[in-house]
Amino acid sequence: MIMVLHSRVFVLLVSVMVLLLLGCTLSFATKDDIECLKSIKASFEDSFGYLNSSWNFNNDTEGFICRFTGIDCWHPDENRVLNIRLSDMGLKGVFPRDIIKCKSMTGLDLSSNKLYGKIPSDIAKLIPYVTSLDLSSNNFSGEIPKNLANCSFLNILNLDHNKLTGPIPPELTLLSRMKTFTVAYNLLTGPIPVFRTAYSVDSFTNNPALCGKPLDQCRVTTKGTKTGVIAGAAVGGVTFAAIGTAIVLFFYYRKVSVMRKKDDDPDGNKWTKSLNGAKGIKAS
Amino acid sequence: MERLISVCLWLILALHLVLRVTGNAEGDALHALKNNLADPNNVLRSWDPTLDNPCRWFNVTCNNENSVTRVEVGNANLSGKLVPDLGLLTNLQYLALVGNNISGVIPEELGNLTNLVCLNLSINALTGHIPTTLGKLTKLRFLRLNNNSLTGQIPMALTTIVTLQVLDLSNNRLEGNIPINGSFSVLTPISFANNLLNFPPSTPAPTPLLPVSPTAPTSSGWSRFCSYHHC
Repeated sequence: MIMVLHSRVFVLLVSVMVLLLLGCTLSFATKDDIECLKSIKASFEDSFGYLNSSWNFNNDTEGFICRFTGIDCWHPDENRVLNIRLSDMGLKGVFPRDIIKCKSMTGLDLSSNKLYGKIPSDIAKLIPYVTSLDLSSNNFSGEIPKNLANCSFLNILNLDHNKLTGPIPPELTLLSRMKTFTVAYNLLTGPIPVFRTAYSVDSFTNNPALCGKPLDQCRVTTKGTKTGVIAGAAVGGVTFAAIGTAIVLFFYYRKVSVMRKKDDDPDGNKWTKSLNGAKGIKAS
Repeated sequence: MERLISVCLWLILALHLVLRVTGNAEGDALHALKNNLADPNNVLRSWDPTLDNPCRWFNVTCNNENSVTRVEVGNANLSGKLVPDLGLLTNLQYLALVGNNISGVIPEELGNLTNLVCLNLSINALTGHIPTTLGKLTKLRFLRLNNNSLTGQIPMALTTIVTLQVLDLSNNRLEGNIPINGSFSVLTPISFANNLLNFPPSTPAPTPLLPVSPTAPTSSGWSRFCSYHHC
């Protein structure tokens, strides 16, 4: 009887454990969202103290992070971040990689801060569901990662007013939902890819070495001129050689045909001479 | 003279009755809801239909003209079904009945609530389809129907609601395709998780250039979030 009781208790315990574990994995891991925000707070130099005052992790009632400055939740009583809006907060630091833990985040606005360093080259792994990404007016440097093209839900992408270099990755034209795209006031170079939507000049302006529609046409570079000259010379040379050869051949064949006519005459004279010769012998 | 007085009295009585009836239409609608719900915790005991209007009832908010603008009864152990009469609350802006055990279908009359900004029926036992009429809710910002047993397809009409900011249809039994046009362009698989829906391929197939659609949401969505109230 006691044995039966023990085994039943054991089964109950195991079931409870399993259920607890299942519960942890099935939920959208709201504990992760808390960790996400903790890391973000830790990674930024919060010079105005906005985060310090509002982001208090001691009180952990349901949905407490939903009251944080700049945080919108999916549901007011559930710690699941929908948007992070920290524009103009005097924040200094690099792009917070731990944002990957905010698994349900769709909106990110870190504009007008003092963020620096590169935009992560695996950004689509960090914020796969982002629909609106605003990193404008910071000090981001390096290239625009082509991995941004894997953020397939992007509707708005603002990268203007930074120090980004290199080309605009043509892969970004694959973003089928993108409606707003700004990279103005950077140090970008090369041709602007052909996007599905025709963005205005304002999207690209103030990138001195950026060219192509809607900016000025891309001019051929010096490297390109050299190749052109060589190509032109080669074509010209071949043509000249061909014409020259034709002329030479023309004159040659002309000479040959004249020589052939002279050869014909000597044959005829010889015959007459031989005939006359034969006649002469007969006569005497 | 006496005839005149009696006629006047009858008129006053008739007018009074008429006024009482029309003045209480919204109260009647909410009372019909109360009658259709089981309320074991007596949360709705203040819903007294003999009052002139429902504006002093708990969980009910009115505007300056004594017309109902908010009905919010959450986590109150209510069960039973919703009523079509709810569609009569034409000034209703917030309808939130979260975390109860309400069953039955979402009445299509809710599509008449053209001032609705928030519709939150999440965490209940609702069945049936999402009514296409909800597409008429042109001011709707928050639509939360998650954690129910809704079936059928997502009505395309919802993509015409340009004010939509948060849509949560997760944890239901919806099927068919997920629209990606109109206001649904800003929605991600998170809004549709745990259903029987067909997700669009992960790499979007090339589509012809879309003309600028008047129904597409305007680009800056941030400003609208300022009034992100409990919904």
